[in-house]
Amino acid sequence: MSQTQRGTRPKRRLTIGQWLNQEHVAGVVCTSPFIIGFLLFLVVPMILSGYYSFCDYDILSAPEWVGLKNFINIFTSDAKFVKSIGVTFYFALVSVPLRLIFALIVAMILLRNTKLTGLYRSAYYLPSIIGGSVAVAILWKRMFAIDGTINVLLQSIGIDSHFAWLGNTKTAIWTLIVLAVWQFGSSMLIFLSSLKQIPETLYEAARVDGASSPRQFFSITLPLLTPTIFFNLVMQMINGFLAFTQCYIITQGKPMNSTLFYTVYMYQQAFEFKHTGYASALAWVMLLIVGAFTGVLFLTKRFWVYDEGA
Amino acid sequence: MKKKISVLLVVAMLAMMLASAALADNQMTIAWWGNQTRNERTQAALDLYSEQNAGVTFDPQMNAWSDYWAALATASAGGSLPDVIQMDYQYLSQYVDNNLLVDLTPYMENGTLDMSKVNEGIVGSGSKDGGVYAVCLGVNAPALLYNKTLLDANGITIKDNMTMDEFFAVSKEVYEKTGYKTNIGYGTDNVFNYVLRGLGHSLFTDGQLSATLEDAEYFFGLYEKGIKEGWHVSSAIFAEVTVGSVEQDPMIYGSDPANMSWCAFFWSNQLTAMQNAAPEGVEIGITTWPSADPAASNYLKPSQFFSVSAQGSQQEEAVKVVNFFLNSVECNNILLAERGIPAASDVAEAVAPKLDANNQKVISFINDVVSPNSSAVPAADPTASAEVYALVDEIIESLCYGTISASDAAAYFMDEATAIMNR
Repeated sequence: MSQTQRGTRPKRRLTIGQWLNQEHVAGVVCTSPFIIGFLLFLVVPMILSGYYSFCDYDILSAPEWVGLKNFINIFTSDAKFVKSIGVTFYFALVSVPLRLIFALIVAMILLRNTKLTGLYRSAYYLPSIIGGSVAVAILWKRMFAIDGTINVLLQSIGIDSHFAWLGNTKTAIWTLIVLAVWQFGSSMLIFLSSLKQIPETLYEAARVDGASSPRQFFSITLPLLTPTIFFNLVMQMINGFLAFTQCYIITQGKPMNSTLFYTVYMYQQAFEFKHTGYASALAWVMLLIVGAFTGVLFLTKRFWVYDEGA
Repeated sequence: MKKKISVLLVVAMLAMMLASAALADNQMTIAWWGNQTRNERTQAALDLYSEQNAGVTFDPQMNAWSDYWAALATASAGGSLPDVIQMDYQYLSQYVDNNLLVDLTPYMENGTLDMSKVNEGIVGSGSKDGGVYAVCLGVNAPALLYNKTLLDANGITIKDNMTMDEFFAVSKEVYEKTGYKTNIGYGTDNVFNYVLRGLGHSLFTDGQLSATLEDAEYFFGLYEKGIKEGWHVSSAIFAEVTVGSVEQDPMIYGSDPANMSWCAFFWSNQLTAMQNAAPEGVEIGITTWPSADPAASNYLKPSQFFSVSAQGSQQEEAVKVVNFFLNSVECNNILLAERGIPAASDVAEAVAPKLDANNQKVISFINDVVSPNSSAVPAADPTASAEVYALVDEIIESLCYGTISASDAAAYFMDEATAIMNR
C-alpha cells in the first residue's frame, strides 16, 4: 500500500477516488458479484443440504435430526433409487459418446474453409444454446407425440406410423438421448480448435509415405485429439449425470419410470413427496457417484490419452 | 480512471439489485392454481380491486396444480409465502400446523372479514382448533365431464349416479360405435378413494392406509377389464399430457379417437374451463363419477379457499382482498362461479341470473344431483399420500401397458404403499 512506502510520497489519507483506483480493491469489487453469488447460491445451500441429509425435513416444519436413517433407506429399501441410477447411467453412457462422435464428425467437415464456414459453425452451435431450454423441451414433446411431427413425416413418406414414441418404455429414453446428442455444439467447437492445431507437416509426411485418409485419421488425428476427447468426455459425463430439464419437461420419468433421471427423482422426493431430507441425502450420494466415476476416468487416462511430454 | 469507473459501475449494479428486491415488496402477491379461464377472470377481478383501492397493486403468481404446491412449499421455507394463498382442503392442516397461516377470527370480529352470509358448515371446513384459517371460495363435487355432442350423435344417453357396471356398458358402447375410448381418471388422485367408498371402505383412515388387498384388486381390476375389452385408452397418451391440466385432457386434446376419451374425471367447477377449452361445437355434459354405491361415494367439498400468509407484511390488506372475493357482487360478477358456487349466500343469489348455461348446469348438478344423494366429505389425506398416488399412477401405467395383472398389481401396491406409509 502507498501509505507504507517509505520516502517517495508524504503520508496522507487516500481520497475515495484513489482508494477505488487501487489494484486489489478493483479486483475484489469486480469479482464480488460472482463471489457473493457463489457463496449464497452454492456454498450455503450445499452446507444446508449436507445438514438436511441427516434430518427428517418436509420444508414446512423444522428439520429433525435422524442420523444415518436417510442413507440407510436409500441403500436398503428404495427400488426407485436403483431404477433411477440405472436410467441415468444408461442415458449418460449412451448419449455422451454419441454426442462426441457426432461433434467430431461435424467438426472435421467444418474444418475446411469456405465462404460460409462461419455461418455453418454458428448454425451448428445454435442447438447447444437453445437445446437445454424449456421451450425446446416442449417442442420436443410435441414432435414425438402420437400425432406429432415425427409421425406425420413418417406418414408422408408412406410409413403408416401412429407410434407413441414417448409412451413406449423402449423409445421414450431415446427421445431424450436424441435431444442430448443434438446439442453437440460446444464439443464441436473444442474439437475444431484442437483439429486446427494439428501440424499440417504430419499429414504431408503421411501422404508422402502413401497413407490413406482413414489411416491418417486413425494414426494422426485421433491420437492427437485424445486430450481433447478426454476433456470433453469428463465434462459431458458430469453434465449427463446431472441432466434435469429435458426429462422433467418431456417425460417426467414416464412411462413406468423408464426415463426417471436421478435428478428428477430427487426433485420428486424433495418437492412432491416432501421428503426434502431424503432428497438431500440422495444429492450427496450422487455427488459421491459422480466423483468416483470421474476419478475412474482419470485413472484410465494414462492408457489411452496421448501425452505430448512423454 | 477506467478502473474507477468499472468499480463504480459494479457497485451501482449491486445496489440496484438490492433496491429492486426491496421495491418489489410493496406489491401484494397472490397465488393460485388453475386454468386459462380462471387466470383471466381472477386477473380482471384484481384489476377491479386496484381501481377501487388506489395504491394496491398485485403480483399474481399462477401455476398448474402439480407445480403449485412445490412452489408454495419452497416459498414458505424462504419466508416469502404470497400474501394471499389459494388453499386446498388437502393441504390446509399442514399449513396451519406449521403456523404459516393467519387466524382470521380477529378480522371477523372487527368486521374486516364478513362471514355472516356463509353457511356454518362451510366456515367450519376452513377452521382448525378453534381458529378460522381459510375462507371457502366455492363449493364443488366430483364430476364426470363428457363429450355430450359425441354421445348425442350416437344415441347414447348418460344417467346420473351410474353404477360401475353401467359405466362399463356405456364405455363399451361408445367404443364400439365411435372408436372413442375411456380414461378412468388416470392422475385424478381422488378416484381411488371414491371407488372404495362405494364398497364401504376408504383408502386412508386416521392417517393410515386402510385399503385391503381385495380393495386394490377391485380398483386395478377396472383398468384391466377396460384394457382387455379394448375400450380403455393406452398408457401411451399419459406420457404426452400434463396430468390434471384441463386444456390437455384426452377428452378434448388430440386428433385421433383411438387416443381420446369420451369422459374425464374432474370437478364440477371445472366444467366452464373444460367447455372453454373444448373444440368449437363440442358440448360438454356433467354427471357423477361412477360407483358401486353412488350415495356412499359422492360428496360436496369446498373447492378451494383463500388464506392469508403469516409471513406477509400486509395482512390487514390481504384480508380485505379475501373479503372482496367473498362478499363483493361486482367481483363475483367477473369470476362467475368459476371456483365453484359462491359461498356467501347473498352473492350466490345475486350472481345466479348472470351465470351462463354451463354454470346453471353446475348449480343444478350440485343442488339436485349430488346434495340429495351424498355422504360426508372424506378426511384430508395424510402427507405421505402424494407418494402413494404417484405409485398408483405408475401401476396404472403398467396395467395399461399390459406388463402386470390386476392381482399382481394389487399385491405390489399393498407392499409398496405400506412401505411408503411406514417410512
